[in-house]
Amino acid sequence: MHPALVRKKNLLIALLILFACSIAQAREAKTLAELVAMFDDKQCAECHGEIYSQWQGSWHAKAVNSSLKGMRNFIAVGLAKEWQTPLTKAQLLKCLDCHAPAVNFASEELAVEIGELIVTAFEEKGSAQGVRAAETLAKLNVGCYSCHNIKANGVAPGLRGAPAEKVIYGPNGDDGDDFHQSVASSDLQTSAFCMQCHGVYHAPDGETIQCNTLSGSYRHGYLAAGGSKSCQDCHLNKGHLFPGGHDLETVKEGLGLRLEVAPYQHLPGQITGVKNPADWVPSAVITAFVDNRAGHRIPDG
Amino acid sequence: MVLEVTAKDSDGKELFKSEKKWFEIGVDPDRDMRYGAWQIKGIIDLTLPPLTTQREQYLVHFDTDIDEVTVEAKLWYYLSGGRGELVYEEERTLDF
Ligand code: HEC
Ligand code: HEC
Ligand code: HEC
Ligand code: HEC
Ligand code: HEC
Repeated sequence: MHPALVRKKNLLIALLILFACSIAQAREAKTLAELVAMFDDKQCAECHGEIYSQWQGSWHAKAVNSSLKGMRNFIAVGLAKEWQTPLTKAQLLKCLDCHAPAVNFASEELAVEIGELIVTAFEEKGSAQGVRAAETLAKLNVGCYSCHNIKANGVAPGLRGAPAEKVIYGPNGDDGDDFHQSVASSDLQTSAFCMQCHGVYHAPDGETIQCNTLSGSYRHGYLAAGGSKSCQDCHLNKGHLFPGGHDLETVKEGLGLRLEVAPYQHLPGQITGVKNPADWVPSAVITAFVDNRAGHRIPDG
Repeated sequence: MVLEVTAKDSDGKELFKSEKKWFEIGVDPDRDMRYGAWQIKGIIDLTLPPLTTQREQYLVHFDTDIDEVTVEAKLWYYLSGGRGELVYEEERTLDF
C-alpha cells in the first residue's frame, strides 16, 4: 500500500474510533444533572398525573434514600475494609443496578461521586452538607424509565435487543402523543421482569448479592405448589403504588389466622404443682392456624 | 412474623404465653450471621412458606382454682428493625 494511503487509512480508523466513542458518550452522563435529564420522570407527570403520584408514594420512588445505611456500609465497610477495593462504577452497580438503574449511564467519575454522596448523606445526616447530599440522591430511584426503558428488555435481551433511547415499552404499544414512541412488550407483564431486581443478583464479575431473595420462593415455593398468579396480579391493585410489606392492607391479604380452643378437665392427681392435687385440673388444647396467601415466603429479609 | 398465644385469668394475670417466630437468617461463606447484602451468600429459611397453613398446638393446664380463662392469639408483622404491626387477633373465653 502507498504510504499516503496508509496514512489516510489510519486517519479513517482514528475518525471511526472517535465517532464510536462519541456515540457511547452520548449515553454517558458526566454530571448528575445530565443523568437526571436523560431519564427525567417529571416529564411523565404532565400526561400521566395519576400514575406519577401513585409512583411518588411507592418505595420504588425512594429506592436509594430508604436504603442509605446499607449502601454506606457496602462502600465504607464492604469495599474499603473487607474487600480492600476502591470504589468504582462496577462496584457501585452491585447495589444501584437495582436501586437506581440510571447509574448504568453515568461516567466512571460520576458514579464514584454518587458513591461518595451516599457516604456523606449517611455520615453527615442532619448537617447542611448531609441534607444536600440526600436531596440530590432523592433524584436517583427506580423511576418510570427504569422499568419502561432501561430494564424493559432485560428478560429477553437476545430476542428484544437493547432498549432504544427515549422509547417507552409498555403493555399495548400506544404512542404518547408527540412525546414518546411506544413499543408493545408483554415482558413487563411477566414475573421474570420483576425478578430481575427482586431476586439473587449476579454481577458481571460473578459476585452474588442477596438483598431481596423472594423470587426464589416465588418460583420454588409458590409456582411449584401450583400457584398461578404473577407478581403484577397481586401488586398492581393500587396501580403504581406497588404496595408490599409496608402496607398493612396488603399484609392482611397475605395472611390468615384461625384459633381453635378445646377445653376439658384433666384427671386429678396427674398434673404436679396445682393447689389442690385431689381436684380436676382445668385444661385446654389451643390450636392456631396461620396461612400464607402471598406468592412467596413471609417475611422477606 | 410472630404468633403470640396467651392465656389470662379473669383479673388479667398471665397464666400461659408462647411465641412462635418466622424469619430468615443470612450467613456468609463461614456461616457467620450477616446483615449486608454483599456479605450474605446463604439463607437459613425459617419463614412461612407460600400456599401453606402452619399449625401451632399447645396443651395447657391451669390451676385447680381457675374458673375463667381468656385465650388470645395475635399475629404480628415486623418490618426489619421496625416496630410490630398487629395484623390479626382472635380471642376465646373459657369457663371451667
Ligand atoms: C429496577 C429494579 C426493580 C424492578 C424492575 C422492580 N422493582 Fe420492586 N423494588 C425495587 C427496589 C430497589 C425496591 C426497594 C425500594 C426501597 O426500599 O425503597 C423495590 C420495592 C418493591 C416493593 C415494596 C415492598 C415493600 O417493602 O413495601 C414491591 C411490592 C415491589 N418492589 C414489587 C415489584 C413488582 C411487582 C415489580 C414488577 C412489576 C417490581 N417490583 C419491579 C426494585 C425493582
Ligand atoms: C437484584 C437487585 C438488588 C441489588 C443488586 C441490591 N438490592 Fe437492595 N433491595 C432490592 C430490593 C428489590 C429491595 C426491596 C426489598 C423489600 O422491600 O422487600 C431492596 C432493599 C434493600 C434495603 C432495605 C432493606 C430493608 O429490609 O429495609 C437495603 C438496606 C438494601 N436493599 C441495600 C442494598 C445494598 C447495600 C446493595 C449492594 C451491596 C443492594 N441493596 C443491592 C434489590 C437489590
Ligand atoms: C417497578 C416498575 C415500574 C415503574 C417504576 C413504573 N412502571 Fe409503569 N408499568 C409497569 C408495569 C409492570 C406495567 C404493566 C401493568 C400491566 O398491565 O400488567 C406498567 C404500565 C404502565 C402504563 C400503562 C398501563 C396503565 O396503567 O395505564 C403507563 C401509562 C405507565 N406504566 C406509566 C408509568 C409512569 C408514568 C411511571 C413513572 C411515574 C411508571 N409507569 C413507573 C411497571 C412500572
Ligand atoms: C404529552 C403527553 C405524554 C407524556 C409527556 C408522556 N406520555 Fe406516556 N402516553 C401518553 C399517551 C397519550 C399514551 C397512550 C394512551 C394511554 O395509555 O394513556 C401514553 C402511553 C404510555 C404508556 C403505555 C404504552 C403502551 O404500551 O400502551 C406508558 C408505559 C407510558 N406512556 C409511559 C410514559 C413515561 C414513562 C413518560 C415519561 C418519560 C411518559 N409516558 C410521558 C402521553 C404522554
Ligand atoms: C398471590 C399474591 C402475590 C404474588 C403472586 C406475589 N406477591 Fe409479593 N406480596 C404479596 C403479599 C400479600 C405481600 C404482603 C405480605 C408480605 O410482606 O409478604 C407481599 C409482599 C411483597 C414484598 C415485600 C416483602 C417484605 O417482606 O417486605 C415484595 C418486595 C414483593 N411482595 C414482591 C413480589 C414479587 C417481585 C413477586 C413476583 C416474583 C411477588 N411479590 C408475587 C402477594 C403476592
